[in-house]
This record gives sequence, structure tokens and C-alpha cells, in this order.
Amino acid sequence: MTGRERILAVLAGQGADHLPCMPITMTFASDILGAKYLQYVRDHRVMVDAQIKTAELFGFDYVSTISDPTREAADLGANIHWYEDRPPAINEELALLADKSVLSRLQASGPITGRRMEDRIRGIERLRELCGSELLVEGWVEGPCAEAADLRGINRLMMDFSDDPSFVHELFDFTLATAIDFAAAQINAGADLIGVGDAAASLVGPRIYNEFVWPWEKKLVDSIHANGGRVRLHICGNTRRILDGMGTLGCDLVDIDYPVPMDQARAQTGPQQTLAGNLDPVRDVRNGSPETIGQSLAEVLRQAGSRWIVAAGCEIVRDTPHENVRAMTSFAQSHAAHGMIQ
Amino acid sequence: MTDSNELYQAILTGNAKKAHATTQAAIEAGVAPMDLITASMVPAMDQVGRLFEEEEYFVPELLLAGRAMKSAMELLRPLMVASGQKMSARVVIGTVKGDLHDIGKNIVASMLEGSGFEVIDLGADVSPEAFVAAVEQRQPQFVCMSALLTVTMPAMKTTIDALMTAGLRNRVKVLIGGAPVTTEYAREIGADGYSENASTAVGLVRSLLAEA
Ligand code: B12
Repeated sequence: MTGRERILAVLAGQGADHLPCMPITMTFASDILGAKYLQYVRDHRVMVDAQIKTAELFGFDYVSTISDPTREAADLGANIHWYEDRPPAINEELALLADKSVLSRLQASGPITGRRMEDRIRGIERLRELCGSELLVEGWVEGPCAEAADLRGINRLMMDFSDDPSFVHELFDFTLATAIDFAAAQINAGADLIGVGDAAASLVGPRIYNEFVWPWEKKLVDSIHANGGRVRLHICGNTRRILDGMGTLGCDLVDIDYPVPMDQARAQTGPQQTLAGNLDPVRDVRNGSPETIGQSLAEVLRQAGSRWIVAAGCEIVRDTPHENVRAMTSFAQSHAAHGMIQ
Repeated sequence: MTDSNELYQAILTGNAKKAHATTQAAIEAGVAPMDLITASMVPAMDQVGRLFEEEEYFVPELLLAGRAMKSAMELLRPLMVASGQKMSARVVIGTVKGDLHDIGKNIVASMLEGSGFEVIDLGADVSPEAFVAAVEQRQPQFVCMSALLTVTMPAMKTTIDALMTAGLRNRVKVLIGGAPVTTEYAREIGADGYSENASTAVGLVRSLLAEA
């Protein structure tokens, strides 16, 4: 089986020769290539080379175009801090929507404008071309809540939920439309799977999640499916209190971060949900050893059952020892993925 | 006392307008600022912290409570300064250089403020030099640093070293926090304490103050 076939089989609830391995790498991959992270985020060719080199070196089953949260916001005109060797960040003080009234005048940006969103699309095309059907190609969009936080400033958004619910609804309509178009363009470019990063949602409780976040996430998931794509939902952090909702979005894959015990994630999302995770990127993966990583993964497998993909709860941090990352692939390669009993 | 109960409720429910109005009314009725702080504000922020630990409250509720607390504090601070009353201790807080995550830091800052400490918030991406300058100029008893990225954690050590070089290290207690930080790390870099969340951070400051 190729990596792509292996992942697609497990997402479909079928068996595979072994478990797929899909750890998120960004700065880690850039370091593997020896590039500065600024080049990685600005030039898709650097990202593509780094992703392929990393996947080959460690035996991952996929390559991804996740890089930083600012692609959409940058194209919409947000003020971005650039760093030579770190991910760019949004200037929250000068957020595009620091003044709420700007929303009604804010021009939507299509994905193809020669800027940051298009760079990711070109990256997907190139990855598809170079990887053929060997590796799964993953696209990425900011989820409606995360993008709203990027545009408004996360500290402000957190209070808007109670101060001005109708503004939040309008804002989420805007960010949803951006995400739908960006995802569609990535599917067209050849992405097999679209990661939806909505980590800001991990900061709210079930009441706000159900009222404000879930309905918009659901529309995004449905739209990606209607356009022929698959969805990986990534809400890192402590999502224990919103997992019930996350499990009913119909995502093909749900990432679970380390603050959530995997058995609880399995119980709350049900036997049909494919899950990925959930080693602690710092304590387990960076600070651990190949032996402790093998033991931890065995325990996660026991709790998750085999509709599961080997990964850490979030990105592999850049100074992680290579043998520790290799231990994740070795574990995956030495365990068969059993299909669901139909 | 109904006044203090109303302020307590206003902070707990994150109602800034009501917190402001009740505080104004209490001041006009002659209630001493320090009484409002100890009888309503501190217990309200304690309860907010408890509800967060129990996963009843989440970040939005914490930020709203913090804002309500601040709207009451704005009225009390000038009165306390005028009457020469001292807060129990002064704290300088910031997110370290290279790190823009400030939500946790903001929550710790407002919990400390709501617990009767004077808080000087330096913001995010604060250089070691800026921490040193603040310690020199403002003479705090505590320096609190927050970091959310493994790559910015070393900036906590750099800041402690800079305080050392400036000859200021012995004048302050240094506390650190943020999701990737641990007690072991605090020990390793020579900080005086670490705590996991905002309400235990308040407890930590209180206990270090009692020791001093
Ligand atoms: C919101 C967020 C952002 C926002 C920050 C906005 C802002 N104004 O703060 C934005 C989008 C800008 C952002 C950017 C990035 N982020 Co970010 N972000 C998060 C997120 C989702 C939540 C963090 C948070 O606010 N938690 C809530 C608060 C309340 O918790 P807390 O900060 O831990 O604070 C509590 C305690 O720790 C303690 N505490 C905090 N400080 C202190 C201080 C003292 C003295 C004490 C005693 C206690 C204490 O009390 C607080 C209250 O209880 C987390 C993932 C997650 N879901 O947790 C990732 C996360 C922190 N980010 C991460 C990363 C990698 C990044 C980026 C590099 C992403 C990228 N690739 O582009 C950039 C870096 C930007 C920069 N230079 O700083 C990683 C960090 C991994 C690591 N360990 O190194 C995380 C963990 C995501 C992940 N799993 O990978 N991010």
C-alpha cells in the first residue's frame, strides 16, 4: 500500500497493512531542509522540498501545506509581523477588525490573487505532481473561529461572544465564506484532505461552542465534502468539554491533543470516528526517548482502537530529536490497522 | 452587606457596567475602598478561578470577569492613592521576548489585580532589558513571566540572568508560567516559583509574601 492508500483506507474504516503516521511538521520540516522559516512560508517550493524530504526521511504517509495562521488574514490586509526564522504572526493590537464597524466594508479576498493563499495552492499542485499517488497531500484552512480571532484579535473575540452576538455571527459568516473558497481551490489543486485549524475554539466552553462555533464549522465541513474533499479537524488544547460536538461534525479525521485522554475522546466521538494523536509534543515526543514513545503509543492504541492514526497532539516542535520522530513511524509500521467489524 | 454582594455578583457574571455602577454607589455611601476589595473583589476573583479549574468557566468568562473587576478598580485606585493606602505588593508581569501569547498572562494579571495586588503589565514580547528597566523604576516585589512556546522559554532564563547582571535579582521573587513550563524548569533556571493556572498563581504570590 502507498501512504496515500493507507490513510484513505483507515479514514474509510477499512484495514491497512499498517497504521498510518501523520505527525504535523512545520518549523521542524524547514530545519530538516536547512531553510529559514521565512522562506518556507513565503515560497511554496521551499515548503514542498522540506515536506517531501521530511516525509521520506521519517517514512510519513503524507505531506502537508500547513504553515502558519496568517495566510488568509494577510490576503485580507491584516498587519503581519515577519520573522527571519519563525512563523509570522498577526499584530493583535492593530487587528484588521479592532474597530468592529470595519467588517461591513471589508472586501472578501478570493484565493487566487498572487499572494499568500495562492502560494499554498501552488504548493499543493506541486506536491500532487511530485508525490503522485505515493503520499497523501493535505491542504489547510483556518477554521471560522480561528480566522475570526485572527481578524478581530482573540482577546476581543472572546468578549464579543457576550457583548455583541450578532457581530460574531456576521464575522463568522465572513470567515466561513473565505474558508469555503480557499478549501475549494485547494481541492481543485489536488489536495486529498483539508485540515481545518480551529484552535481558538478550545478556549470556549460548550455553550459558546454549540451556539457560535459548531454551526459554522458544520457548514465548512459539509461544503468541503460537497466539493469532493475530506476533512481533518484540528482543535488543539483542552477540548474535553466540546468533544461531543466535534464528534458530530462528520469529519473524516479528528485530531486529539494531549490534554484529552484518548479513551475519553473515543467514548465521546463514537466507534466510527477516525482519530489522530495524542502524544504531548513537548513532554512525550521532544523530551522522551524512542522507548518511552513506543510505550506511550501502545497505550494510546489500546485506548483509541485501530480506527486511529499515529500523531502527536499538535506540531512536532523544532528541536525534537530525530530518533524520537522515527520511533513514531516505527511504531506505526509495526502495527496493522484492523478494519471496523462491519 | 448588599453592596459588596452586588459587586461580587457583577464581577462573577462579567458585568462591567454593573461592577462600575455598584462600586460608584458604594463609594458614595462611604464604603472604604479596601473593604470593597477584600469583601467582594477578592472573593469574586477567587470564585472565578475556582470555576475555571472546575471547567465551568472558560477563557471568555475569565476575560469578562477581569474586565468587570478592572472597571471597579479604576474607581478605587485614585481613592487609595489619595488616602496613601498601599496595595499588598507590586507585581511586574509580561510575556517574554518573541512570544505573543498574552491571554494567559492577561488572566493572571487580572486575578492578581483582583486579589489586591498592584499589577504593572508590560504586555507581550517583552525583552529582558524591558523587564530590568521596569524592576529598576517601579521597584516591584514580584516579576511574573509567561511563555507559551518551547522556543521562547529560554527567554525566561535570559531575563533572570539580566536581572542578575543588573544586580536586581535579590530584590524580587521571580515567578514563571505558561502551558509548556514546569516546576522542574523553574528550578533549572533559578526562578522562585511556577504555577499551573491563574488561581494557584495568586496563592503562590500570597505564600511567598507570607514567607518574606
Ligand atoms: C491562542 C493561540 C495563539 C494566538 C495567540 C493570541 C494571543 N493574543 O495570545 C496566535 C494565533 C497569535 C498564536 C500564534 C502562534 N502559536 Co499559538 N496557540 C494558541 C492556543 C490556541 C491557545 C493559547 C491560550 O491562550 N491558552 C489559554 C490560556 C488561558 O492558557 P495559558 O496561556 O496556558 O495560561 C494559563 C496558565 O498557563 C497560567 N499562566 C500563564 N502565564 C503565566 C505566568 C505566570 C507567572 C504564572 C504563575 C502562570 C501563568 O495561567 C493561565 C490561566 O490559567 C494554543 C493551543 C491551545 N489550544 O492551547 C496555541 C499554542 C500555544 N501555539 C503554538 C504555536 C506553535 C504558535 C505559533 C508558532 C503558530 C505558528 N506555527 O504560526 C504562533 C507563534 C506566535 C508567537 N510568536 O508568539 C503552540 C505552542 C507549541 C509549543 N509548546 O511550543 C500551541 C500549544 C499550539 C500547539 N499545540 O502547537 N497562537
